[in-house]
Amino acid sequence: MASVLTTTVQYQTINNYGAWVKAWQDHRQSGYESILLTGDQESLMAWLLNRDNGDILALHHRVELSTKLGPPPSHFGIEETLMSEHWLARDWSELGWEISDPSSARGKGLFIYPLGPVRADVSESLLYQLIVMGDEIVHVRLKNGFKHRHVREIVRGRTVQEAMPVVSVFTMTSTVHHSLAMALAVENAWGIDIPLAVNVTRTLMAELERTMSHLGDLAALAVSTGLPVPQMQYLHLKEQVLRVNYGLFGHRYMKGAIIPGGVTTALWSEDPRLSEAQGVIEQVLHQSTRIAHDLEHTTSFLDRLHGAGVVPKSTLETVRPVGPVGRATGLEIDVRLIRPYGAYHDLKPKTYTLASADSYARFRIRTQELRQSLTLVLELLTRWDPSLVPRITQHQERVDFLPKQPWGIGLVEAPRGLLAYGVRLNQDTGRIAHLSVATPSQRNWMAYAPAMANGNILQDFPIIDASFSLSVAGLDG
Amino acid sequence: MYYWQWLKNVVRIPHTTGYPSEPDAVVENMLYQDNIRFDPGVNPAPGFAPRSVAIRQVDGGSCNGCESELGLLSGPDYDLTRYGFSFAPSPKHADILVVTGVITQAMIPVIKGVFSQMTQPKRVLALGSCAIDGWVFKDAPGVVGRLDGIVPVTVDVAGCPPTPGDILRGLMAAVESHSVPSQEVHP
Ligand code: SF4
Repeated sequence: MASVLTTTVQYQTINNYGAWVKAWQDHRQSGYESILLTGDQESLMAWLLNRDNGDILALHHRVELSTKLGPPPSHFGIEETLMSEHWLARDWSELGWEISDPSSARGKGLFIYPLGPVRADVSESLLYQLIVMGDEIVHVRLKNGFKHRHVREIVRGRTVQEAMPVVSVFTMTSTVHHSLAMALAVENAWGIDIPLAVNVTRTLMAELERTMSHLGDLAALAVSTGLPVPQMQYLHLKEQVLRVNYGLFGHRYMKGAIIPGGVTTALWSEDPRLSEAQGVIEQVLHQSTRIAHDLEHTTSFLDRLHGAGVVPKSTLETVRPVGPVGRATGLEIDVRLIRPYGAYHDLKPKTYTLASADSYARFRIRTQELRQSLTLVLELLTRWDPSLVPRITQHQERVDFLPKQPWGIGLVEAPRGLLAYGVRLNQDTGRIAHLSVATPSQRNWMAYAPAMANGNILQDFPIIDASFSLSVAGLDG
Repeated sequence: MYYWQWLKNVVRIPHTTGYPSEPDAVVENMLYQDNIRFDPGVNPAPGFAPRSVAIRQVDGGSCNGCESELGLLSGPDYDLTRYGFSFAPSPKHADILVVTGVITQAMIPVIKGVFSQMTQPKRVLALGSCAIDGWVFKDAPGVVGRLDGIVPVTVDVAGCPPTPGDILRGLMAAVESHSVPSQEVHP
């Protein structure tokens, strides 16, 4: 079976800052996707993914602080790495990048409607400032930063093993994908290969997580339109999947299950009842298809979704949203196909896209992906043989390798979209010298405000909010 | 836009799926693991809960796992309304404050503000290992790592994340307890 690690990373050094940004812009226009922006040891690096063959290109710029750098990339219309840019500007003031506050709107009759950080029934801390004219939302400002846990900073200087417990709780609803992306990055730097049985296990976990995440998101969307029956049904199915996770892997969210070099089997059940799990997943598939079908025939639901929260064309160009949000705008980025990892080489999932970019498209894409994920889970369950998976009962059993190359890159398609980890390991000790993470939420929040302020009224807010279903933990980090 | 479908729906038979209709052994097990019992109170008819308690949740810097499990309490498998609990959008209507996450400096004034707006009597639940001792984020900059000391905590619910069953038991322990602070619920 082909190895993921054979994919090459090309490095290109550009000394002039203007030329560096220009090269980044040009590649971005011609088949490359920005995945990470890192700043480390006097150099800036823009990491790009080739959409056709999955190769990675690192554009490197050596920062000469004696000369003035010039405005940050967002000034040139590259906004998908805006959060990284903010962190760089804050931690590395010599760059001289000015980060302005998010713009506001002023005018006669405008009213600022503050919402948060405490809001709704159960929610994460984020402050929305909806600037409204009567009922219409004309501008949205998001104030985040209430929940910085500084994941990137605290893992610096740690061994890979010590870093995993922190990385795995970056966002619990994507814990498998965060651990997996970190593991892929580290394995990439170590230059090691992973046995097929482990890859199948990881992929099974990943698809179970996608299933769980989409079910939760769909429940939230259903209730945002005032339909508690489908909400309850989806929540019940989510609970079923969480119990399958627990039955097979000993944790409802499979936290800590994936580690660099393998998977931990400490919590696994002695006698995983695979046929039982299969039965449950089949039921979930059957019932979720039916709920989705019923929602597609519920006029009060569809009326609220169609045309609500359309992502404007200009935002598509600057932010290039990812995941279901991106695919609902017609952008076809799916890491599972572009740069297959785990067992995706031969699973070949289908990518669904729609062009209408509204809440309905996001709903529709999620239901389709949910169905596909459940089908993949069923297929993986027939292939999965737990007895072939090397037993690693504790993190510590796996020694830290010394890296073959300083940088490792891990890319996965998390439930919310492209998730990228870039890790630089110390060549002598193997400890983490630098960690960069680009979460799909960081990127998609940038598309959120323009979509919300695109001719919608206040009553659309909860629906559009739920249709994006982004995580604040992923934004603040 | 959908009049035709609307007409069709008039003649279609609605159906529901997979709603649990019988007591769920998993939930029962989770709820009665130790000696924290669901005390029905003075003289209620069997099976009725003499309780009406509103919950206000505040995220003090979580990974959203605790929120995910807390959200499942309103799902049909746990259905917190059966035990007399509900979620309140406003702190002014709330009886229990549930705080998740590591407690960042930025959230301290918010948490204090919410607590002060709640009317007496009030209880506080520290939900998840993060809110109890900072968990893996103890040494992170700007992280306090402990809810106790900011507002008076009634009950700690440990776990990462605690299961919905643990959370329910914790909520019950919080309202049943007479002295503040008192108990810990461990999974
Ligand atoms: S206790 Fe665990 S699940 Fe809860 S917020 Fe902390 S890390 Fe997340």
